[in-house]
Amino acid sequence: MQLANVVGHATATMKHASMTGWRLLVVQPLTTEAKPDGEPQLAVDSLGAGVGHRVLICNDGAGTRQLLGHKNSPVRWFVMGICD
Amino acid sequence: MRIAEVIGTVTLSRCHPAVQGYRWIISVPFSLKALKNQTAPDGEDIVVLDELGAGQGQKIGVSEGVEASMPFHPHKKPLDAYCACILDSVTVQ
Repeated sequence: MQLANVVGHATATMKHASMTGWRLLVVQPLTTEAKPDGEPQLAVDSLGAGVGHRVLICNDGAGTRQLLGHKNSPVRWFVMGICD
Repeated sequence: MRIAEVIGTVTLSRCHPAVQGYRWIISVPFSLKALKNQTAPDGEDIVVLDELGAGQGQKIGVSEGVEASMPFHPHKKPLDAYCACILDSVTVQ
């Protein structure tokens, strides 16, 4: 789990079947100093996080597959919570 | 998943039997700066297995690590990057 900034969103028509109907956010993981940590990632979101929000993202692939209800999903990151 | 741009394709004359017949693309991941400024991607290029038919110049979502081979589960394939989606639009502010 890591803190991240929501920096944008993405749409896709051609995608893995497990991603159908899910919001796709562009999130930038952060270091402890709140500096960008690596490259931006795509994360699925069920909480309605928007651009500018600080979120908690989780890279548990098994958790994501459970969330999406699909055993074969290639998605790893999902938005776990929105920080106050 | 990282966001990457397709810059080319790879063909293999001989390969591992588990990955025979698949399409391979070369893609370059975007940094936050490149996405914001809408400039060319600036990461290190990676070869990605593609089942969706991504074309030159398109933006894709690249799934890496264990998740790259999950679409083929329970079959085991030696993959570390999989094209999970072709992005129609990426809006970064």
